[in-house]
Amino acid sequence: MICVIALIVFGVIGIFSASHRKLAKEALDCVFRKATLRKCRTNLDERIRSEISGYLITKNEKAAGFVYRNFQLLSWSFTLLLLLSIGYTAYGGYNYYRYGNCYGPVEQGFCIFDPSGKNSQYAGIKSSYNGPTVFPSIEKDDPQIGEEGYPVEIIEFGCYKCPYTKKAEPIVKQILEEYKGKIRFTFRNFPVYQTHKFSNETALAADCAMEQGKYWEYHEKLFENIEKTNSSDYLLEIAQELEIDIGQFRQCYNSKKYLGEVKNDFEDGVKAGVYGTPTFFINNKTIVGPQDISKFRKLIDKELKKKNQNGNS
Amino acid sequence: MATLDAESIRNDFPILKNSGKYGEKEAQIIYFDNACMSLKPQLVIDKIVEYYKEYPGCSGRSSHSFGNRVSEEVSAARISACKFFNSRKEEEIIFTRNTTEGINLVANSLCLKKGDAVLTTNKEHNSNLLPWQRLSSEKGVIHKIVEVDDGEGGEEIFLKNFENSIDKGVKLVSMAQTFNLDGSSIPVRDIVKISHDYGAMVMIDAAQSAPHTEIDVRNSDVDFLACSGHKMLGPTGTGILYGKYSFLENTNPFIEGGGTVVNTTYESAVFEKPPAKFEAGLQDYAGIIGLGVALSYLKPKLPLLKNHEAKLNRIITEGVLSIKGASTIGPKNPDSRSGILSFQIEGIDSKNLAIMLDKSNKIMIRAGAHCVHSWFNSKKISGSARASLYLYNTEEECKIFCDAVKKISMFAVK
Repeated sequence: MICVIALIVFGVIGIFSASHRKLAKEALDCVFRKATLRKCRTNLDERIRSEISGYLITKNEKAAGFVYRNFQLLSWSFTLLLLLSIGYTAYGGYNYYRYGNCYGPVEQGFCIFDPSGKNSQYAGIKSSYNGPTVFPSIEKDDPQIGEEGYPVEIIEFGCYKCPYTKKAEPIVKQILEEYKGKIRFTFRNFPVYQTHKFSNETALAADCAMEQGKYWEYHEKLFENIEKTNSSDYLLEIAQELEIDIGQFRQCYNSKKYLGEVKNDFEDGVKAGVYGTPTFFINNKTIVGPQDISKFRKLIDKELKKKNQNGNS
Repeated sequence: MATLDAESIRNDFPILKNSGKYGEKEAQIIYFDNACMSLKPQLVIDKIVEYYKEYPGCSGRSSHSFGNRVSEEVSAARISACKFFNSRKEEEIIFTRNTTEGINLVANSLCLKKGDAVLTTNKEHNSNLLPWQRLSSEKGVIHKIVEVDDGEGGEEIFLKNFENSIDKGVKLVSMAQTFNLDGSSIPVRDIVKISHDYGAMVMIDAAQSAPHTEIDVRNSDVDFLACSGHKMLGPTGTGILYGKYSFLENTNPFIEGGGTVVNTTYESAVFEKPPAKFEAGLQDYAGIIGLGVALSYLKPKLPLLKNHEAKLNRIITEGVLSIKGASTIGPKNPDSRSGILSFQIEGIDSKNLAIMLDKSNKIMIRAGAHCVHSWFNSKKISGSARASLYLYNTEEECKIFCDAVKKISMFAVK
């Protein structure tokens, strides 16, 4: 079984070295013959066994003897480990492609494909929802920009304490500017409370600001000051700054008046398969994370074209 | 009794002189693969370099100073070879690439025809088997094989087998003097005498004997003798074919071309006299000149070499046979096996053993069928490990070798 490892190792080194290419061919022959239950013709496995054991004699005779006698067992173990690690790497690669990190949407850690972690869409939430995925609905009381009937509907599920949601903010602004009159944009709360403290509170405060017609101003302030929004006092301070009726705001905030709304948003997001913030639904297509603006443009243009074609026909 | 001073000889070999002591990180190598290739003394290396640095010209063709010097040096090498084998004249010495080429040259030049028989033994190297197999299938030459006996009194039994096999139809007896398989030897003088009585010529494959023992072609009366330079301290790609001048004179060259003719027309050619007519094309002059020096260096050491190798062979034979499951190939008595010990250890593949000896102690031996597949196949043995000794090997090396083999055999068969 050592030939499987040899094939992979020599195959990779063989890209750069002609002598290792020959060994890779021998290993391939060996793997093929072993797979068809025949003896390895080139004796590569035996040579590797002897090379390793011979080297070990100079270090530790007992270890050399152990390796020589149990080489098949060790070969199997290392081959299985190698296959496992290849499988795990492939899984990590898939996760990176899908979620921007090696561990998927609900775990995080160092990812070799993205050492800086800047592409990670880790949400830190574990969904308990097991039902069918449902495209999120829009309610009249949700904060919106644009009019009903515009060709493209964008719903953003975001968290006021999530740095990725903040990172997407200038992109959203730019898109809304570029496609004015063509997009209806709705922001829905998806507070990632397990990871970000005060995400629920900020969402509640934003809804309280909406009550007084200052939602988007408050929304902007929350992202601008994301590092400071860690206390109720600061949330009140923002309200004061925006000349919101502080008594009404305080009462709204302290009574958690819009807790039901926030929960409703979150649950709708879970049902729609949201696993990280920000998640954008552009008609029925999704973009996860603060992706490049070109990706938004491409999708929106495609949707607009589709609408135009449907309209003309 | 005078003995060979291996320690002082080692100083002549840069590869032995320049490495560390046994057991150190950059440890001394233990080279026990001399039946395949010998190490080279400094003077041979220097001589090769001298050719390329000082007179890198053609021999026998160009009359400028480089050409003249090369011709002189090649001539000196031929004289050296002539003295080495005690041939009647230097024209009896043909430079080849190796023993294989020498044997093939004879096989293809003798014009053997259908019904002619060639006699070999059952322990021949592929070089002394394949040419006869081909002549047998292509021309209908009969290839007969004489069994070699490894037991006590094996020489007598072999001679009896030989006498039973030879007849007037045998035109050539082609046998190795010493077998690379196990180091055993045949009685050349007796073979030659019997063969000549039946009118057969004798060719000796001296690849394993010429580096280790004094050969006197006049005394043994062999008709052809082939050997390799690389096994007798000379450069790789060099060999010698000795042939009695009368035979060489009346034999057509196997390879024709530059250097083999005096003159040509579009229809005909006048060939050179031996040895030139057998040395076609531009030769490996550096190698030939280096070989000449190697032969001069080796010749005076040969009288003491047999005892030296026998002494060392006794040590390694005793050491290996003390290992459980070990067995040797060939005669039991190490004195009958030149400097060769061919052995097997039950439970360890010989190739694995060779790799482990190299990796653990830098001990280099050969493993496998040693180009004598036919013998191993007939005995249904996959191969053997072969330690082969030479003039620069020492008792200390033999002891280290034995310890290392013991160590490996212990952990491998537990």
